[in-house]
Amino acid sequence: MTRPVGPAPVGPDVTRRRLLRGIGAGALGLAALPLAGCALEAAHAAGDSETPEDELTFLISNLDGGWVPSKSAISSYEANVWQQLTDKLVHTDEKGTITPWIAESWDVASDSTEFTLHLKDGVTFSDGTALDADAVVANLDVWAKGRPDAGIAKVGLFPGSTYDGAEALDERTVHVRFTAPSLSFLPTLGYHGCLLLSPESVARSLGEQSDLAHQIGSGPFVLDSWAASDHVTLVRREDYDWAPPVLGRGGAAALRKLTFKVLPDDTLRASAARAHQSDVSYNVNPQVLDSFTEAGFTIEVPRYLGFTHGFRVRTNVAPFDDVRVRRAISRGIDRDEILRTVFTKDWESATSWLQSSVPEAEDHSDLFPFDPDSAAQLLDDAGWTGRSDDGYRTKDGTELAFTLYPTPYLTGSVPEAELISQQLGRLGIRVATQKIDVAGYSGKVEDNPDQGLAEVTRSFVDAGTVAGVITADGEDWFALEDSDERLVDLAGQVAGTADRTERAGVIDELSQHVLEQAYFIPLEQNVQRIYVQTPELSGITFNAVAIPSYHAATKTGSGSDGEGADA
Amino acid sequence: MIALKRIAQAVLVIALAYVLVFLVLAAIPGDPVSAQLENPQAGYSEAEKAQIRSFYGLDKPVLVQLLLSIGNALRGDLGISLATSAPVSTTIAEAIPSTLTLAATAMVFALLIALVLGFASQSLGESRLGGLVRSLPTVFLSTPNFLIGLVLIQVFAVQLGAFSIIDPETAGSTAFAALTLAIPVSAQIAQVFITALDTTSALDHTEVAISRGLAPVRVFARHLLRPSLLPTVTVCGLVVGELLGGSLITETIFGRAGIGTVVQKAVTSQDVPVLQAAVVLSAAVFVGVNLVIDLVLPLLDPRLRAPREAS
Repeated sequence: MTRPVGPAPVGPDVTRRRLLRGIGAGALGLAALPLAGCALEAAHAAGDSETPEDELTFLISNLDGGWVPSKSAISSYEANVWQQLTDKLVHTDEKGTITPWIAESWDVASDSTEFTLHLKDGVTFSDGTALDADAVVANLDVWAKGRPDAGIAKVGLFPGSTYDGAEALDERTVHVRFTAPSLSFLPTLGYHGCLLLSPESVARSLGEQSDLAHQIGSGPFVLDSWAASDHVTLVRREDYDWAPPVLGRGGAAALRKLTFKVLPDDTLRASAARAHQSDVSYNVNPQVLDSFTEAGFTIEVPRYLGFTHGFRVRTNVAPFDDVRVRRAISRGIDRDEILRTVFTKDWESATSWLQSSVPEAEDHSDLFPFDPDSAAQLLDDAGWTGRSDDGYRTKDGTELAFTLYPTPYLTGSVPEAELISQQLGRLGIRVATQKIDVAGYSGKVEDNPDQGLAEVTRSFVDAGTVAGVITADGEDWFALEDSDERLVDLAGQVAGTADRTERAGVIDELSQHVLEQAYFIPLEQNVQRIYVQTPELSGITFNAVAIPSYHAATKTGSGSDGEGADA
Repeated sequence: MIALKRIAQAVLVIALAYVLVFLVLAAIPGDPVSAQLENPQAGYSEAEKAQIRSFYGLDKPVLVQLLLSIGNALRGDLGISLATSAPVSTTIAEAIPSTLTLAATAMVFALLIALVLGFASQSLGESRLGGLVRSLPTVFLSTPNFLIGLVLIQVFAVQLGAFSIIDPETAGSTAFAALTLAIPVSAQIAQVFITALDTTSALDHTEVAISRGLAPVRVFARHLLRPSLLPTVTVCGLVVGELLGGSLITETIFGRAGIGTVVQKAVTSQDVPVLQAAVVLSAAVFVGVNLVIDLVLPLLDPRLRAPREAS
C-alpha cells in the first residue's frame, strides 16, 4: 500500500503529450472499427460495384403487402415479383389484345356465356406437378369466389357474380360457364390477379400463403430466398419452355438471377443507381427523375388500360349538383401547366375519361378544354357572383369552396392538387388540399358521401367495367341513383351486349355523355408505375396493367470489365 | 419482496402499453384490411368486403376485439398481421437479429466513445482542448440521428464506396449504421460519466494518487473509473430506450429490416396485432434491462448492500 515517494512529479507538458497519444490511439481504434468492416466487405465484394451481366437488381420502396395472391397480386409493388414467378392463361398487352399463353386457344359460345380453353401440353409447376385442366379449375374457382371462410378474397375484377362453374373435360380442356354474357372473362385472365398457382398452394391457409416459399408457380423464375422488408431473390427455371409467344423468346429466361431489393428511401435509390449498384429503380417521385436521367438511366412510364387520372363527381353534393359548376371546374384546370410543372415530358394529357390505349376509347378532349373565360361565365350564370372578404365567389352568403384529398395511390398527386387549387383560385373558387395516407383514404374520400370530388386511379382490362361503376347497384360513382335515364340505358346496353364491336359504339356514346355532363373531370393519362432502367437493359415487355416481364430481358456489356473500380 | 414488487410493476407497464396501443389505433379510422379491399384497383363488391372483414373480426365492437386479442395473447397466440397475413410471431422473430446486432454494436461503440471522452476530459483538465472535449456530448446529443446517418451514407457509401447501400446487413453497412446510433447514445453516457469522474477526481484519495506521481492512465483506471461506474451503469439502462427508439430511425435510413422497420410499417398501415407485439417486446426489454441493472448495482457498490430495516 505505502510506496516510497517517487521522483519529482512529471511536468504537465509530458503528461499532456502522453495523454494526447492515448487519446489519439483511442480515436484511431474507434475509427478503425467501421473501416475494418469495410475492408472485410471489400474483400468479399471485389469487383462488385456493378451487377453481373446475367443478373438483374431491382430496387423497390417496399414489398409490404405480403404474399397472399388475392391481397398483393394487384399491388403496384408485389405484382412485379408475381409476374416473374407465375404464368397466366392468356397474355393481355398494353392495347388490350389477347394472345395465347398457357391457354393455346379458346372457343366462345355465340352469347358469350360459355368458354372452352385448350391448354398447352407439358406445362408443369416448379414442384413438378402438372399444370392441367384440374389445376386450372382450382384456380378459376378461387379467382371467381375466393374462400371467404378462410379470409381469402376473390380476384376483384373477375366476373365472379355471374360465374357458374368450370369443369375439366379432359387433361387439357376446361369448360367455363357464366349466367350472363361475359366479354370481360378472356381479357381478365391476363389481369394481374389471375396468377396460376399449384392446387396445393391455392388450398393453403391464409397464414401459410403469406410465405412466398409456399407459392408454387409455373413461371420462368423460381424463388431462391426472401426476407420480409428486405429482398426477394429469384433464379431462372432451366426447364421453362412455355413463355407467351408475344415475348419473343422460347426456352428458359436469358437472365440467371433477379434480385428485388427493398430500399424505402427515394434519394437512396437514386444514389444506389448512380453508384451502379442496381439496374432498375421502381416508382420514384417525378421530381427526382432528373437525377436519374443525369445518371444515364432510361425512364419507362408504361400506361395501363383503365380510367385516366381524374375526379369523379358526386352530383348529390353541393355545389357539384349544378352542371355549370362542374363544367367550370373542368374548364378552369390548365392540364398543360400540370404536365409542365408536376410531371415530365413522359406524361400526356387525358383525351377522355378512358386511357387513350383502351381499344374503345376515342379522343374527346374537345369536351373539356382549358377555357378560364367561359368557366368564369358559367360560374356567373350559376349565380356565384358575390365576393367574400378573401376575394372568393359567393352565392347567398355561401363561399364557393371545397377540399381536395390527393390520392395516396399516385406519385405526384400532392403537388398536382396544390396546383389545381391555385388554378381554381384564379377563378374565385377556394380549394383546400389535405394529404391523407392509404389507411385513412377510403373512409375520408372513397366512402364519404359528403366528399364531392374523389380522385380515380383505376385500371381494368375490359372496358365493360364502365357499366359497373356508374349504376346504382354497382359503385354509383356519380351518386346519381339511376336518375340519369340515358346513362342507365347505355350502361345496361354495355352490360348486356355479347358483341364486342357493337359494344364499343355504346361505350363511346356513354363516354361522351359522362364528359358532357362533367360527371368525370379528366386530368392526365394515368401513369402509376415509373421504371428507371439502365440503358443496357432490353427485351422487357409490359402487359395490360403496366407490369414488366423479365423472361426475355437481356443486359448488354457496359464496356466495363467488371473489375471493382477504386473509389 | 422488493423484486416481486418490481416484477409486478413491470408486468403492469407492459399490459398498459398493450391496451393503450390497441385503443389508440382503434380510435383512428382505417385498417390495412379495409385499405386493401378499398384499393381502387381491386373492384370488390360491398358483400365481398363484408365477408373478408368479418373473417378478421373487424366487424365486432372494439372492446370485444380487445378482449379477444388479450385472451389469444395470454394463450401465446399473437395472431396474424393484418397487412401481410404472416403470423405476428414470425414477423417479430425474423426482425430481432438485425436489431439486436445493430443495438449491441452501437452500445459497444457508445461505451468506447464515452470512455475515450471521459479519459480525455480528465487528462486534459481545464485546458481549451479539455473544454472542447467536455462540450462534445452536448454537440452529439443535439445533432439529429438521421442527419448523421445521411452524412455517413453520402460520404462513405456514395462518394467513397466504402459500404454497400443496397445490402444493409453487411459488416461495413452495419458498422456505419451502429455508429449513427451510437453517437447520440454515447453522449448521454459520457455526460453522466464525465460528471461522475469530476466528482471522484476532486476527492482526497485521487488527489493523493496524482500527487504521488502515478501515471495518468493508472490513476484513471484505479482511482477514477470504478467509483464513476455506478451512475454510468444506471444511465446505460436508461439509454436502452434511446437505442430502441433510435434504431427505428437508423433502420429506416439504412434500409435495415429490423424491429424499427416493422414498427414503422405497422404504424403507417395501422397493423394492430404487429404493433402490439412490438410495443410489448420493447417495453419488456426496457423494463427487463433496468431490472437487471438494479440487481447488479449492489455488486458494484457495497454501500447499496446495506441491510434494510423491515418497516
